[in-house]
Amino acid sequence: MMRREVHDMVKLMNQPRRTIPLIDGMTILFVIVAVVSGIALWVLHGPDRFASAVGDAGLLLLLVLPIVVMAVLMGAYVQRLVTPALARRWVGTESGFRGLLLATVAGTLTPGGPFAAFPLVVGLYHAGASLAVCVTYVTAWGVLGLQRVFVWEIAFFGVEFVLLRLLVSLPLPFIAGYLTLLLFRRRDRR
Amino acid sequence: MLLAYVSVAVLTVLVIYVASRREDVRHGEVLSGGWRELRPLLVRLPVALLAAGFLAALIPERWMLMLLGDASGIVGILLASLLGAVLPGGPIVTFPLAMALASAGVGTPQLVALLTAWSVLALHRVMAFEIPMIGWAFVWRRLAVSLVLAPLAGLLAAWFLSVGR
Repeated sequence: MMRREVHDMVKLMNQPRRTIPLIDGMTILFVIVAVVSGIALWVLHGPDRFASAVGDAGLLLLLVLPIVVMAVLMGAYVQRLVTPALARRWVGTESGFRGLLLATVAGTLTPGGPFAAFPLVVGLYHAGASLAVCVTYVTAWGVLGLQRVFVWEIAFFGVEFVLLRLLVSLPLPFIAGYLTLLLFRRRDRR
Repeated sequence: MLLAYVSVAVLTVLVIYVASRREDVRHGEVLSGGWRELRPLLVRLPVALLAAGFLAALIPERWMLMLLGDASGIVGILLASLLGAVLPGGPIVTFPLAMALASAGVGTPQLVALLTAWSVLALHRVMAFEIPMIGWAFVWRRLAVSLVLAPLAGLLAAWFLSVGR
């Protein structure tokens, strides 16, 4: 059973990347939100306020777009250089400080969205990594993940804010890992 | 902003340089992969920016300052953590919205808490990806230990800012 799951996950990881639809449910929802809130803004605050909001959004798009384009290009290369197999080799089965440290580094460097990171966690867990290591990995991928920082966060919030956020986030994967050890030690391997 | 452009540009060039030294990396393949990822963003980004801008203009600044401004302190950090956990969608939705909130007066520690909560709790992502892919047994334990992380990040940010001043 477990062996089959691992096999499935390895297959999932090696699949060519899922093609992202041009327009999905979320896009449609946001078009609706934009139309409704745009009408509300026009009605409540007048056309001037509406026009300035549109202008601000356009300006922001011009500022952000070059960074997003460059960062997506960078991300495409990083994804080619750092494969899931490579990331899995870094994270061992240790769950001491060294194990958590390696999981943090791997999570920080894992490129791609949830479709790249979560199968890796399943693979790690079945390959014998402890629950604490897996939790540390997911937390590091979330709060420190460099791809998201470069594609999105720097473009929107600037380097100074990003550095502050990364600095306060450094201990978080370890805290999550040690809390897991503390609370779920006994059930760790189910 | 200039620093943002420069740092991303330098890293991009660096990564391309490293890749070009490896013979097994085919640039055409990488570029078409990148284009596949970029294409939907070109549709979603303008829409998300517009929606976030309209929403931010609709929320009265006075409320925003009271609930999530710099002076809102720990209560604001907790509220921001809650808001971050329920924000739907990926970075393309969250970052424009968070930026609109920031320009409407949300404090820096509160913004750190919001983004951290969205990164580790993101209930939308948990339901769409994590539970189906990894299973509830893992997910509830991870969520349980992650609850403290966003408020903690916000408090740490507030502390750093007060020390730096």
